[in-house]
Amino acid sequence: MAEFLELESQDGVRMPWNVIPGTKQESSNCVVPVSAIYSPIRPLPNITLLPYSPLRCRTCRSVLNPFAIVDFAAKIWICPFCFQRNHFPPNYASISDDNLPAELFPHYTTIEYSQDNQIGQSPPQPPLVFLFVIDSCLIEEEMGFLKSSLSQAFDLLPDNSLVGLITFGTLVHVHELGFAQIPKTYVFRGNKDISKEQLLEHMSFFAKKPKPPGVIAGARDGLSADSISRFLLPKADCEFAFNSVLEELQKDPWGVPTDQRATRCTSTALSIAASLLGACVPGSGARIMAFIGGPSTEGSGAIVSKNLSEPIRSHKDLDKDSAPLYHKAVKFYEGLSKQLVHQGHVLDLFACALDQVGVAELKIAVERTGGLVVLAESFGHPVFKDSLRRIFQAGDYDLGLSSSGIFEINCSKDIKVQGIIGPCASLEKKGPLCSDTVIGQGNTTAWKMCGLDKATSLCLIFEVVKKESPDATIQSTSNQFYFQFLTYYQHYSGQMRLRVTTLSRRWVAGPGSIQDLVAGFDQEAAAVVMARQVSFKMETEAEFDPIRWLDKALIHLCSRFGDYQKESPSSFSLSPRLSIFPQFMFNLRRSQFVQVFNNSPDETAYFRMILNRENVANSVVMIQPSLISFSFHSGPEPALLDVASIAADRILLLDSYFTMVIFHGATIAQWRKAGYHNQPEHQAFAYLLQAPRDEADSIIKERFPVPRLVICDQHGSQARFLLAKLNPSATYNSDGPLPGGDVIFTDDVSFEVFLDHLQRLAVQ
Amino acid sequence: MFGMPPPLPNQSMTSVSPAVGQIGAPVAGASKIDPNQIPRPIPGSSVILHETRQGNQANPPPPATSDYIVRDTGNCSPRYMRCTINQIPCTDDLLTTSGMQLALMVQPLAIPHPSEETVQVVDFGESGPVRCSRCKGYINPFMKFIDQGRRFICNFCGFTDETPREYHCNLGPDGRRRDADERPELCRGTVEFVASREYMVRDPMPAVYFFLIDVSMNAIQIGATAAACGAINQVIADLPEGPRTMVGIATFDSTIHFYNLKRALQQPLMLVVPDVQDVYTPLQTDVVVQLSECRQHLELLLESIPTMFLENRTAESAFGAATKAAFMAMKGTGGRLLVFQSVLPSIGIGALSAREAEGRTHLSAGEKEAHKLLQSADETLKAMAIEFAEYQVCVDVFITTQTYVDIASIAVIPRTTGGQVYYYYPFSAVSDPAKLYNDLRWNVTRPQGFEAVMRVRCSQGIQVLEYDGNFCKRMPTDVDLPGIDCDKTIMVTLKHDDKLKDGSECAFQCALLYTTVNGQRRIRVTTLSLPCTSILSNLFRSADLDTQFACFLKQAASEIPSRPLLLVKDRMTNLCINILLSYRKFCATVTSSGQLILPEALKLLPLYTLALIKSKGLRTDGRIDERSFWINYLSSISTPLAIPFVHPRMVAIHDLNSKEGDQSLIPPVISLSTEHVNDGGIYLLENGEDCLIYIGNSVDSDILRQLFCISSVDEIPAQFVLQQYDNPLSKKLNDLVNEIRRQRCSYLRLKLCKKGDPSGMLFFSYMIEDKSSSGLSYVEFLVHVHRQIQLKMSS
Repeated sequence: MAEFLELESQDGVRMPWNVIPGTKQESSNCVVPVSAIYSPIRPLPNITLLPYSPLRCRTCRSVLNPFAIVDFAAKIWICPFCFQRNHFPPNYASISDDNLPAELFPHYTTIEYSQDNQIGQSPPQPPLVFLFVIDSCLIEEEMGFLKSSLSQAFDLLPDNSLVGLITFGTLVHVHELGFAQIPKTYVFRGNKDISKEQLLEHMSFFAKKPKPPGVIAGARDGLSADSISRFLLPKADCEFAFNSVLEELQKDPWGVPTDQRATRCTSTALSIAASLLGACVPGSGARIMAFIGGPSTEGSGAIVSKNLSEPIRSHKDLDKDSAPLYHKAVKFYEGLSKQLVHQGHVLDLFACALDQVGVAELKIAVERTGGLVVLAESFGHPVFKDSLRRIFQAGDYDLGLSSSGIFEINCSKDIKVQGIIGPCASLEKKGPLCSDTVIGQGNTTAWKMCGLDKATSLCLIFEVVKKESPDATIQSTSNQFYFQFLTYYQHYSGQMRLRVTTLSRRWVAGPGSIQDLVAGFDQEAAAVVMARQVSFKMETEAEFDPIRWLDKALIHLCSRFGDYQKESPSSFSLSPRLSIFPQFMFNLRRSQFVQVFNNSPDETAYFRMILNRENVANSVVMIQPSLISFSFHSGPEPALLDVASIAADRILLLDSYFTMVIFHGATIAQWRKAGYHNQPEHQAFAYLLQAPRDEADSIIKERFPVPRLVICDQHGSQARFLLAKLNPSATYNSDGPLPGGDVIFTDDVSFEVFLDHLQRLAVQ
Repeated sequence: MFGMPPPLPNQSMTSVSPAVGQIGAPVAGASKIDPNQIPRPIPGSSVILHETRQGNQANPPPPATSDYIVRDTGNCSPRYMRCTINQIPCTDDLLTTSGMQLALMVQPLAIPHPSEETVQVVDFGESGPVRCSRCKGYINPFMKFIDQGRRFICNFCGFTDETPREYHCNLGPDGRRRDADERPELCRGTVEFVASREYMVRDPMPAVYFFLIDVSMNAIQIGATAAACGAINQVIADLPEGPRTMVGIATFDSTIHFYNLKRALQQPLMLVVPDVQDVYTPLQTDVVVQLSECRQHLELLLESIPTMFLENRTAESAFGAATKAAFMAMKGTGGRLLVFQSVLPSIGIGALSAREAEGRTHLSAGEKEAHKLLQSADETLKAMAIEFAEYQVCVDVFITTQTYVDIASIAVIPRTTGGQVYYYYPFSAVSDPAKLYNDLRWNVTRPQGFEAVMRVRCSQGIQVLEYDGNFCKRMPTDVDLPGIDCDKTIMVTLKHDDKLKDGSECAFQCALLYTTVNGQRRIRVTTLSLPCTSILSNLFRSADLDTQFACFLKQAASEIPSRPLLLVKDRMTNLCINILLSYRKFCATVTSSGQLILPEALKLLPLYTLALIKSKGLRTDGRIDERSFWINYLSSISTPLAIPFVHPRMVAIHDLNSKEGDQSLIPPVISLSTEHVNDGGIYLLENGEDCLIYIGNSVDSDILRQLFCISSVDEIPAQFVLQQYDNPLSKKLNDLVNEIRRQRCSYLRLKLCKKGDPSGMLFFSYMIEDKSSSGLSYVEFLVHVHRQIQLKMSS
């Protein structure tokens, strides 16, 4: 396991197969696809920033890397991808065996280049743009919470950033923060789509000079800086205006009959925001930050009618295709996402309501643009408040928000790219590397990442196309596959950077290769790839049965890689490399990603969006929560994710990523209620109570979105947050109660039963 | 005695008018007519006391333009309603023979003379006023109670109704109800009933005033925006007090800017509605706010609007869209929408094109249908106007401009909604703001009503043919008036559907259901009962010149946009000729064929007809907008203002001082002829809207200094503001102008004119009796009329 983590800290990459099944047939037998979870701008401890431009292969444009074969005498390097011989340029003249440029150091498989390096020559950094889009159909209390969070957030914005403000309800209000005399807003109909051209026209961008022909795009192309600065102002210049609009912002004044939902034109507001940015600052980093407090009921993106008697769509409705507005809304947001990707802008979504707000529909626009998403039940909830603060907070745990990213892949010719599951958008750059089988964002070797941050992790899925060849001699001299990931992005310092990660992996084929494959199997990465895949298939494939698909995959994998005698279940065993994989699958089957009916479509969309952007370690926690036990008998130690772990004198800390649960056993709870921890003679108890809090805090401060913290007692109502995640080894129809005294009221099978079945089926 | 024919003394010869001039042969020159003897208006200076009925007979009213005090003795005051003929012809044939029109001029909220009794308010409680159960005519002095008062006969439909129990009263020996003199509805021609619940579809609406101001580049640059804001700011103080008064404000150029005035903490919030093709109101409430809640915000805003848009470079103006958006904001209540427009509406709903310029090129290319420019350009604004009327929004448009704005199209909105057009051309930031303020002030302070419905009922045998005026008509019988005020007059043309009995009376009743400014629902009922006659000469004798001519004017005004101008001129001349021909043929006993014989009552008809033919509306040299305005002005003009509008009043003012001791503020009227205009004199000419002061070339500089503070004619300012200087002459001029303003209920656009200047040409274009490019001289016209009559007599 440790070697995989080491590779991750060197290159930011985890692969299920670190030894690659070398042929098409072989790889398809391996069930888990050849793939990688790659975090393009993960901070790496040993990374070097080179102050010059990279050297590229003449034919395939791949970047010079440690795997290139260098002929020092001839000053030639051979590209490992296309075998092209390239001459070094004159500035590499002094290159020799002991005078290597950094990009050829064997350990610098990941390296960064910064193009604008020359001192004094760096172009002025374009300011970051934040366009706030605020729902005004809120009750007073929520409005108050939101206002105070926003004004805090405003203070935290970088000083040079540009700020714009849109509020909406029945209508969309675009605030002209730059109008000095009186507060001024442009008001648009909520139920009418409006194009960018109409918007330009309507907001009098050409009042002072005639509209230029052709495409209008920012200050370079047609718009005067003056007219842009009416709506997007430097933070310092609009502080007063921003705050006074916020202060005066009232609940949407259009009356709502008691049997109706508020008229909320979320989609129109977002579309106007996108068009405004598209007109003013196309191509440079800008974020639309949408704060939404209820379901959209107006415009093309409405998710439900205004009539309260009509419930908001559930997974059942979506399954039965009886959510009349769903497809229209998704289609609308697909269009919006295309526009945003084209402009290079990000949509961040803060959905805070007890109702669904339409995250399921908005997902496509947030995910394709690499936006952040936070789902909470109130603007007053710490999940929202703390998350929002985290976005702008500088310091150790800042998110490192970057923008305008482009991600490209090169790989050996026997490998093709099926696609990426993750927060990016295909740039439709087709090439010989593209597989015919497409998954996620495919059909391309380049992707746009409008927004990305330190945590952003893409799941790249490959296809091995090498044909089986019986003649070993024809096999190429090399048994290595090469991959190169190129990420251009605007670093949060404003600098444009290129990160290059070049990987080499051995491939094996033929009989006897199983041991090699098992040795290179990263079961955590594999579980995460399976989770992303199953989520993706559930969303895109009609009639898809995820349980069946997962079970088949697991059985297939076990019967291929397990040790057993045919038809003898008791003889079955798995190598340590694979041993926890069945448990991951057991928990994945029970997780929110597969058992969607416990959640609303919004929640499911939210969970999947986070899964699709997180790294392996965090994703594993989502699939299989971690449980730590605290007691007087021992220090904090990992506990089995099983109902048997519950004990009256223990405190359990469950981390299921979205929720952290501190669970006080019955005795602990009694003591606490008696107030022992406040008595000096029971200081040890106070420490015991505090320990899980400290542990939780240390996790919370690293995580975005900030997880929900639930503190509960055994047998209390909140205890369900823990019980739902535990293996039901003791249920109401078990024989005798466990020592912990808790049972789970479920008909779900326990892990033991699951494993029995698996063994039986795998050996057939 | 009721129903008796009025006695007609001196039935035969004496009513024949004096022959004017001997015209021997058709070729006889005009020289044979003594210009000093032809008929001219002689205004009576003393106040006339007028009882509407005397000896149970209708009393013919005094001239509309005269100063009179009415005592309502059964018939309504002629201020509210007057008929073109004060006796009703029994048959349609008789009317046709006379050549005259039968029509009523109804001005239901006209302002009474200060010495007159006010209209009495009668409250019948929950049951509402007593009405005929068949025709729904309202109780009036001419309903005849019979059967000891248990039943009454309707004077409109003749139906016999049961008297409601609570309204029963015994009859006296004279056959009248004993309580007739105590009950206004039984002894007065005009009463006002308190409307009961059944007259309301909703609670009476509040007084809502919405101001909509053009802030496009041109409006700002000519100072129109500042003038409008200034006027509004002053007028706010004059709006009715109390919680029922609500105001709203919006500005517009190519977009519409609303203002949220209901903001606790800070300045008003400006809300821009940019979609001028598909408009909406940006707020459901808070755009129209109680005046008491937003007075300070409003004042502040009005002060800052002109500076806020000072740099505005938007030339486009979305008049139609802005009007519609404002309408949507006030749709819930209805109310008055006051629009200040300065340029041609060029964008958004109801956008117009500069068709005047196009028209001119067509005209030179021999275009026959020049009058089309006086028609509305399309149906959009009309459709909007009908919707406005449906929601009780009355629109007035103040056009402060220096360019063509297409009044013909714009005016559709005020005309349909009971509003009116005000026109300030060419707008002057120096001299016009005062008039703008005064017009606006009068607009909001004059007696007026909201959400009104009006209907005129007639006795059997006569029915209403058509209503003409500023209103919306959705049902054939009623007119809808989102706004009605004391200045608005509606012409009601009548037709026979049966014979009337000679010697009976024919009654007309106008019922106006409206909401007062204070939110009371009222029905103003105005009844006029006139004798019927089968004798032609009676018709001529009881003809009402002022009403007839007002009727002429309105007909001309409505025909101009739809017919070639020559046809309209011919028709007007023929109307005059036919009346005179009929009189000559059937009533005149003087057989001398060489004489032009005019009926006494109508002796000024040729002069006024000539004035009409030479007026702005019937001339081709005027600007299209000016003619459109002229047409629209006439559509709601009241009878007293009709004649002066085409036949202005001219007085000399250089010698005001010499008329010491004369009681009247107004000096003697001078005929509209150049020969009365001396180079050494200063003359004031006014038509109720414009007031021209002509200064001769050799006026005594002392007089100039006293009146205008200038020393020579050359210093006459192009833009004139009347000021009072410390000398008696100046004071007299000011008094004179103020008296005219009072009479006309109009502030007048003052302009100084001098010879050899376009302003002088304008002045002389009003010299109707002169021969000019626009027509014959008065004498020549009489000769022409006479010749036509002779031709027709002999054919």
